[in-house]
Amino acid sequence: MQRAKFRWTWGIVVTVVALLLSACGSGGNNASNNQAAAGGEKAANAPANAAEKPAEETATAASGYPEKPIVVVAPSGAGGGWDKTARALTKVLAETKLVGQTMTVENKPGGGGAVFMAEYATQETKNPYKLFVSSPPILINNLKKEGNSPFGYKDSTPLAQLTKDFGAIVVGADSPYSDIKALLADMKADPKKLTVAGGSAPGSMDHLIAVLPAYKFGIDPKAVKYVSYDGGGEAVAALLGGNADVIATDVSSVAEYLKAGKVKVLAVTSAERLGGDVKDVPTLKESGVDAEFTIWRGVFGPKEMKENELVYWQQTLTALNDTPEWKAELQANAWESEFKGSEDFIAFLGEQEVLIKDLLTALGMAK
Amino acid sequence: MEVIQFLADGFASALRWHNLLFALVGVLIGTAVGVLPGIGPMSGVALLIPVTSTMTGGLGPEEAATSAIILLAGVYYGAMYGGSTTSILLNTPGESSSVVTTLDGYQMAKQGRAGAALSISAIGSFVAGIIALIALVLVAEPLSNVAVKFGPAEYFSLMLLGLAAVSGLAGKSMTKALMMTVFGLLLATIGMDNVSGVARFTYGLAVLYSGLEFLTIAVGLFALGEVFKTIIGREYAVGTIARVGRILPTRQDLKDSAGPIARGSLLGFFIGVLPGAGATLASFFSYIMEKKISKNPQKFGTGAIEGVAAPESANNAASGGAMIPLLTLGIPGSGTTAILMGALIMYNVQPGPLLFDEHPEVVWGLIASMFIGNLMLLVLNMPLVKLFAKIIETPPKYLLPIIVAISVFGVYAVQYSTFDLMLLIACGIAGYFLAKNDFPLAPLVLGLVLGPMIENNMRRALTGSDGDFSIFVAKPISAVFLIAAALWLVVPLLLKLRGKKVLINEEG
Repeated sequence: MQRAKFRWTWGIVVTVVALLLSACGSGGNNASNNQAAAGGEKAANAPANAAEKPAEETATAASGYPEKPIVVVAPSGAGGGWDKTARALTKVLAETKLVGQTMTVENKPGGGGAVFMAEYATQETKNPYKLFVSSPPILINNLKKEGNSPFGYKDSTPLAQLTKDFGAIVVGADSPYSDIKALLADMKADPKKLTVAGGSAPGSMDHLIAVLPAYKFGIDPKAVKYVSYDGGGEAVAALLGGNADVIATDVSSVAEYLKAGKVKVLAVTSAERLGGDVKDVPTLKESGVDAEFTIWRGVFGPKEMKENELVYWQQTLTALNDTPEWKAELQANAWESEFKGSEDFIAFLGEQEVLIKDLLTALGMAK
Repeated sequence: MEVIQFLADGFASALRWHNLLFALVGVLIGTAVGVLPGIGPMSGVALLIPVTSTMTGGLGPEEAATSAIILLAGVYYGAMYGGSTTSILLNTPGESSSVVTTLDGYQMAKQGRAGAALSISAIGSFVAGIIALIALVLVAEPLSNVAVKFGPAEYFSLMLLGLAAVSGLAGKSMTKALMMTVFGLLLATIGMDNVSGVARFTYGLAVLYSGLEFLTIAVGLFALGEVFKTIIGREYAVGTIARVGRILPTRQDLKDSAGPIARGSLLGFFIGVLPGAGATLASFFSYIMEKKISKNPQKFGTGAIEGVAAPESANNAASGGAMIPLLTLGIPGSGTTAILMGALIMYNVQPGPLLFDEHPEVVWGLIASMFIGNLMLLVLNMPLVKLFAKIIETPPKYLLPIIVAISVFGVYAVQYSTFDLMLLIACGIAGYFLAKNDFPLAPLVLGLVLGPMIENNMRRALTGSDGDFSIFVAKPISAVFLIAAALWLVVPLLLKLRGKKVLINEEG
């Protein structure tokens, strides 16, 4: 009896350990945080590196990278623009077999992306298996005074710009406003009357999109009542539920709600009219407000990337941009293609940084 | 009538053999995910998305989307079923939504009633799942419109009510419970502030930027604390091994649980529908409510079956409720539904207000499969109860290291940081001393969950009202919550005062 019990107990122990090991392995695939990747890297890569050294310059395919699953982080909650870009990217890369490894998307919300950057720029500088999707906030957070993120695009390796999108000023379907001028005129008369919501903190992109037309219209941007939510999805919920009068978001997030007749889009921040579902929406310029804002989106890697890893992504992302699948994906999401390789992208970011710094200074929010 | 037609079509789709297989695989994996600490429903679902896309490769686009979402949803509610197992048996919550189950579940297991606790949580989960689904079929559309009306002011007041109700988690001393609540709220302020993006109490340490991980603290306080207590108290030497009594709940158990299951299901469902509230809150609220309305509140925390039935029903109902904003509006109500939404997008099914019109077969197939999946889970879980319950017959000298190992692996699998392991051990030591001195642990954990929600929603509401506090009473739903919270605090005090007077009179 005693003996039987003993054996039985060991059975449990073994089972539990086996389960745990499998849990550990799978957890690693999915969440892929730095420690596992960085710690495992030495052991896993050491022999591989030795073997691949000679081939390193010639072909990326032979270099072995990537040899583990890749995580693409959307530094926001699900449902927003970053999230959609990250999911579209991983989906097409997998579908077209451009990347053989499993790619997953991870959401890291908080601080308009600053929470993620703080972690990424300090702990993941050498983890080539974690990329992220970002957009103007990476510049804004680094430039603004309040809630400054000490880390900017210079703490990463910009790999490519993929798309451009534009801001949209959106009201509920039953809103009394049907053009931006009327809205701005009312806001000018009494800024307290209207609650403006967005998916990120004050001084961040949604806020800039919201106050930019107001500022250009002659309204004190500090008087605009801006409420921040955790991501674009919650902001839309606030608009649909009447807890916000107007939201500033991006065109691509709002198309589905426009089609369903739940919202009205008053203006877009592009230079010219857009196509698709928003073809009837005037630009800010058409409405007599001299403002423009482009939301570029791109892919970034860790600061310290090896040459072969950089070349790998250069080639893969350039190839991606030419596939019909990616074009179809862009169309489905109402995104406009705008591809820049790593070098062009870095130069572009330099220009954008100047532009945003000017804007923030004008708003009195620069660092 | 249209609904019935759609539902029939959905069943036709869900009952195809390959979809049945997908549902079965989903719930099996989900149960495993739930039992294992560390991989919660969120990472479990995320993990399987690429696998399902390979598995469904041969099907047409709509069919592939239906099959994939059936499997992933199976994982989601399977994990909700399985999540209670380690809470009950080992005092180690596998998911944040089953933290509160440890309070009575573990006590029941210690008394040899693990079988009853596990099976009642399976039965409760089943009933809750079915109730949530029926509600999903009948009132999804109108309810989602009400849910989005829930603004920052309403959220704030609801959370405040939750906080006021914390007395329901108090042990012997109310003061100690309040101290622990405040401590939890304080811990919750660590990290990057979501409203302004300012780092608070991080001292430049990057590991603190995203705040303290809730699960690390809960596992440390409950599981490791208990392990330390057993070791230091030399309880293992006594040699009494908890026996597994009967597996099925007694007739009395079922009678006691019927009410809590029904109330927990409804409450959980409504909390689940609110975007951002979630299963963890649902389980806490239902536990507190049951304790409040119970005739014998003192038996909670000592192994009351109601204390297992209510939160386990609530967290399952909440996961059903969370499907409503996702399917009707494209707004994910929880982390897991956000990932489910990502999976739908991968199949070119865009969740949003048009989902029911544009892809009825996907939505109704999913809903029908959830009925089937819940049934599968019940059938699957009842025999498993017998197996799982035997775990606690393991002598402590083997069981304690297993608990420690599970806790460490589980925390590391979520966070991948040695900092969290340190925090885990620190919380374990803190948990031991706090429990030894009668400081209740649950209020701390609740404070940690509620803190950020209270703060962010209060600041949002006040921004909207230009700093005018009257917004909290001007909004009717918010006012109702506030009044309820006030009554919750004041009524017991009044009763106590009265009671004292009566006592004084008697003495006089």
